[in-house]
Amino acid sequence: MSQQILSDSDVRGEEKQNARTRATAWKIPLMVGLMLSFVLWAHFASGVRVFHSESTSESGWEKFRADYGIAYFGQDGQFVRAVQNGYNLVNYTHKYAARFTRKTAADRVNSCASCHTPEDLAYGFVNSDRVDPKLGRRISFEDRVRWCYANGMDGFVPTIYDPAVRDIRLLARAVAHHLQLTEGALRSKN
Amino acid sequence: MSTVARKLLSIVLLVLVLAGIYALATQKHKQREDIRQATVKLTPGCAEKLSRYGLVRNERYRSPYVLQRTGTAVSLRGYSDEDVRAIQRGCNIIDDTQGKLARDPALERWNTTRFIRGSHASCDHCHQGIGDKQDAHGNPLKGSLSLGASWVMADMYDRFTGMLLPFELRQMQCFINSSNGYKPNIADDVLRDVTAYSRFLSAALALKIGKHYDEQGIDEIPASATPKQGDDYVRGEFLYKEKCQVCHGRQAFGLEANGQLVAPALAGPNAWNTQSRNYFYYVSTILPGFICRNMPLGAENTLSNQECRDIAYYISNLPRPAGDRQGPIIALQHQALMTFMPPLMRLMESPRKGGVAADPAPERDK
Repeated sequence: MSQQILSDSDVRGEEKQNARTRATAWKIPLMVGLMLSFVLWAHFASGVRVFHSESTSESGWEKFRADYGIAYFGQDGQFVRAVQNGYNLVNYTHKYAARFTRKTAADRVNSCASCHTPEDLAYGFVNSDRVDPKLGRRISFEDRVRWCYANGMDGFVPTIYDPAVRDIRLLARAVAHHLQLTEGALRSKN
Repeated sequence: MSTVARKLLSIVLLVLVLAGIYALATQKHKQREDIRQATVKLTPGCAEKLSRYGLVRNERYRSPYVLQRTGTAVSLRGYSDEDVRAIQRGCNIIDDTQGKLARDPALERWNTTRFIRGSHASCDHCHQGIGDKQDAHGNPLKGSLSLGASWVMADMYDRFTGMLLPFELRQMQCFINSSNGYKPNIADDVLRDVTAYSRFLSAALALKIGKHYDEQGIDEIPASATPKQGDDYVRGEFLYKEKCQVCHGRQAFGLEANGQLVAPALAGPNAWNTQSRNYFYYVSTILPGFICRNMPLGAENTLSNQECRDIAYYISNLPRPAGDRQGPIIALQHQALMTFMPPLMRLMESPRKGGVAADPAPERDK
């Protein structure tokens, strides 16, 4: 009798299990499919920069690359991509550092390039880390960039580690290399 | 006590605690500002070096070194009083990281020892010549880890971390691994002063940004640069005892005399850890390169590539601290090795003292 009752319960349990398995069987491939689609979308179609390490080639980059001998650091590579991102940040700040500026495409002054040439940045870089008499403390190149975001760009202060700061420093370094600058080099007046 | 009174008391206590923290922070900030403004007492090495490079407060800086070597005076941006002091402090930190020459190490060296475990590590042990090693004629030496040359090549892709490594982060790695210690904040005065000194060196030597110089980093020695005999522990031990033991001690734990460090530890608790690039099993080309170009002091470049690899291999097999990322079990294992191996080794070697060989090195020399 008890055996009969147990087997009935077993049968019912098994049926329940089978029904549950049937009900959830489609979920696994769906989840895998969703994850796969997200990865493919993020990598190929999203355009969101955190998902890929390539920099978008903006207009003027090839000329900049040729003018400042960026090929010295290789045709491609981490450093070259960072410099390219630096180029984008400097010339299209409203687009590439939208988090740190309130400026838009409609503004007349909406990028670092509106005020600074690449040479300015290079000379600024080799003359950084000095005491600013106005502020009474040593100011690094990164501090200056962050200050520009907050004031010149009417925006917000990135952290010192942010690529929006770092890649501008790397751009300045690459240009300083092209100009063969030494630490503390002064710009000739002519 | 009523509930209201209790609540009021809690609020007052909280405000008092916060005010105390604020007062403490303000006092610490003031103390740091006072140090920044204080006159720097230079170590003898720094006094000589900075005077040779003509570091003074001025609107323009003209390096005597560049003038002497090229015959042309190059005018660069000069240094303010505060810039000069930062450079001087940076030089002191490189030359005397532990503050053994300072009257008050906590004040004069920004208490740099808080980032170091052990009592031996000093930047100058690897970055010899206070980060600017030169021969008798003033020529920078290949593979001498020049700080000025490192500054101009900073921010490049680093194959060990897989990132574009800024100068400050590289310094942090030195503290964590080579000094087996802790990471300073990127804005810490220690890092900023060392950067200021390194940048000054690059100005004094007229090094161009982004250009690779022979004195930058290590002249690495891969196995392919040897006759491919294989790196040999026994050969390494023999060479160590012949060439290195006299300064670094029998078990490579370093030598101290009268409270002064004679030579730093290459193994044991005062040495670099197993995540340092000096560790042969992590990077097999760096320590041999350092040995060949920088050791033994006064007789650099006298060892063959294979000899340097053998010594590096031997040294790296001696017990040393585990790296921070290796977890407590490995750390415990290394701690046990460092504790029990030295007495065991002494015990094993002791019977030979009265018998065949008091010192194994001369015996093997025959």
